[in-house]
Amino acid sequence: MTDQGETGEAITILLVEDDAPTCWRLQDALVKAGYEVRTAGTLGEARSALAVRAPRVLLTDLRLPDGHGVELIRETRRRFPDTEIMVISALGDEESVISAITVGATGYLLKDAFPTDIATTVRDLVAGHSPISASIARFIVRRTQSSSEPPPGPALNTAKLTPREIDILWGIAKGFSYAEIASHLGLSRQTVPGHIKNIYRKLEVHTRSEAVFEAVQQGLIKL
Amino acid sequence: MSEIAAKAPARPRRRLIVSRFVPYLLLQALIVIATVLGLQLLQPSDPDDFALSGFSLREDGTTRPVTLPHFTSSRYSLADPPLYTGAFAFKNGDAAWSVFLPRFSNAVEVAINGVVVLDSRRDANANRPDRNTPEIAAIPSSLLHDGSNEITVRLFVWGPLKGFLDTVYIGPDAALRPAFETRTLLFVTLPVVFSAWQSILAVILAIMWLMRRREPVYGVLAAAMVLGVVQAFMPPPVPPGTVSRLASVLLASAPIESALIVVFGVLFFGWRWPRYGMLLFVPGLIVFAVGLIAGPPLPRILFLLLGIPTVGISLVLMAGVTAAAVVRRQDAASLTIGCAVTIVLTCWIHDMLSVFEFVTNERTFVSRLSYSAMLVAIGAGLTWRFARALNQVDSFAGQLVARVREAEERLKASFAREEARARAAALANERTRLMRDLHDGLGGQLISIVALSERGHEGATITDAARAALKDLRLVIDSMDDIGGDIMLALGSWRERAAMQLRPHDIKLHWRVATPQGLPLHPELRPWHVIQIVRILDEAVTNAVKHAAARHITVTIDTRDDGEGPYGVISVADDGGGFDLDGDGEAPDANQTARGLRNMRSRAARCGAVLDLSSDQSGTCVRLQLPQVFPDSDAAAG
Repeated sequence: MTDQGETGEAITILLVEDDAPTCWRLQDALVKAGYEVRTAGTLGEARSALAVRAPRVLLTDLRLPDGHGVELIRETRRRFPDTEIMVISALGDEESVISAITVGATGYLLKDAFPTDIATTVRDLVAGHSPISASIARFIVRRTQSSSEPPPGPALNTAKLTPREIDILWGIAKGFSYAEIASHLGLSRQTVPGHIKNIYRKLEVHTRSEAVFEAVQQGLIKL
Repeated sequence: MSEIAAKAPARPRRRLIVSRFVPYLLLQALIVIATVLGLQLLQPSDPDDFALSGFSLREDGTTRPVTLPHFTSSRYSLADPPLYTGAFAFKNGDAAWSVFLPRFSNAVEVAINGVVVLDSRRDANANRPDRNTPEIAAIPSSLLHDGSNEITVRLFVWGPLKGFLDTVYIGPDAALRPAFETRTLLFVTLPVVFSAWQSILAVILAIMWLMRRREPVYGVLAAAMVLGVVQAFMPPPVPPGTVSRLASVLLASAPIESALIVVFGVLFFGWRWPRYGMLLFVPGLIVFAVGLIAGPPLPRILFLLLGIPTVGISLVLMAGVTAAAVVRRQDAASLTIGCAVTIVLTCWIHDMLSVFEFVTNERTFVSRLSYSAMLVAIGAGLTWRFARALNQVDSFAGQLVARVREAEERLKASFAREEARARAAALANERTRLMRDLHDGLGGQLISIVALSERGHEGATITDAARAALKDLRLVIDSMDDIGGDIMLALGSWRERAAMQLRPHDIKLHWRVATPQGLPLHPELRPWHVIQIVRILDEAVTNAVKHAAARHITVTIDTRDDGEGPYGVISVADDGGGFDLDGDGEAPDANQTARGLRNMRSRAARCGAVLDLSSDQSGTCVRLQLPQVFPDSDAAAG
């Protein structure tokens, strides 16, 4: 089974993970699913791999021997806006996932996920579906409610989320499936993943749309 | 025994009364003596050289010689008044002469040689029997001739008091004037001064009462003073008066005023005003009512019969009240008021003796004067007390600020201590709970992994144990999160984990939420409740995977209400083969299953939930009925 991009070429993945067994495990699962996988164990290796060619998908751990995965995500997002970025997390905790989202990641992968789940997640991401867990959704909606006192945990700007997006997050936090959420909110089932992708984009500290907006403001672009 | 105990406190009290009351009584006796002596001394001296006391009185058609001062009978008609006729010698060439009448009641008309020189009826104040107003009149020199001259004095009397005419003085004006001035000062000017003073105090006290309604003592005293002032300036109820009815109503002022003073005394010394105390106002009100209805002389007679005794009773009551206050409090205020009351009482008795002619004096009434003086003294004392109270409040406020600051500091310190202690306790509790939760799951699983790998087990078993450990770690982390009492949020995360666990086994997880809002909110929900619930559900799913060979697992979340508030029900049903609930079946892992069930039951009991388990050939259903309110502590069942 192979997974092809729109151009017919194999989808390229850059996997950045310093723990060798974990790296093998993820690589096996992805290669078996037909992806073209390059691996890097450090930030430096990852940078040189990026210098050669931009991958379609970047999967990165956060704690790396020579730096933090957040830097890599930020750089990749800036240089290759079309690359889908996912963070590899041991526990899927808010600390690591949210900090990755705010610099441009649009999903996360659990290190112990079953091989089929790993492949499915990446495929969905490439198809435009960003995975989101109940606990991450819960964390985000709680931030939309918090008042003056900043709650503990990583900072998150939720001001741009629409009420509909917040409703979707509530549904995910409470364990409803996309189909259930769509029927509760009177949406088409296919639009829910798009909303989630939007949520990720809005939570990014410097989104591309913001950059465009700034460019328009400064007279660099004429619309 | 008990009798002695009962008597014991009575004895010192009696001793106290004796030790305090007797000296007080002696002091009052001294004051009475001093007052009597003072009254004798203060008696204004008249120019005796010019006294004229030999008169002939024509009364009721008969003429007889009399010596002044003289009492004549009481009467109610102004027609045919008693006529005193006397003679005096005048030598031409002397300075201007005058006629001086130091005391008379109720009114006089004086004629010299048949020409009227003085008619006191025109002077309303002079006609008041309770005043001792003197009169003086210059005699035109053209009226006088050398040798014997005739003086006639018509004495107008209106009952019920007897008429009275003091010695008449005729002589050079310069010789008579000083005595007249002295009497005017004492009996005319001084009462006006007192009245003015009273009116000012009345205003001050009224303002005090208006601002401090809960202290009626000021209001009572103000009312008494207002009455006194009005009474002092109103014309007396005599026939020539133009507003005799209004005036006769004002006769009631004296008894009402004295009753008010008793009220003041009772309130001032901190007693409760007895309900029957209002009887004291009855005589005054009767006089008032009669004054309204009937014209003179009835109100005057009633006043004499009811009003005057009421004044006396009030004074005696006031003396009693102050005496008791002196015994109880031994303070300057009660002692001063007590002495003042004694003086007024003495003056009142003096006046009564004079009215009923038990003592022959010049019929000088002093009680009104002494009463006014007492009121002024009380008013001044109250004002003084008020000022002192203000000072106390000032210093008290200062102390209070200091104390509050001190207390605040102490409170802050103790609060900080308490907070630190509470934080430490919460941390310790949390650590204990976390340890137990990790011990229940993760610890055992890790140890199991170690044991398996040491025995050289390959792959699958170790993988399962490690996955279980990771799952439990996520559960413990998840349960620490604040979900605001919404169990649905915990179930949302659990659904993901369960789905992930079931996917490789190709078991479908169906999720059915019966009500749109999910489960009722539980503000009292704590992490340890959540972790027990989720572990029960985990156990149910794990059993379905391991033992039941199920293809579908359906989780149903429902909210029920039996009329005592909503509660949640979560059930996990599989379509597996079921198992024998007794645990003695042929299944090789029957013991393990039984242990698992026992575990689930004890977890449910810890958070107040009820666990129902049913199993047959078509599958197994674990039904967890959540409590309406989660228990406060998990220690009870834990």
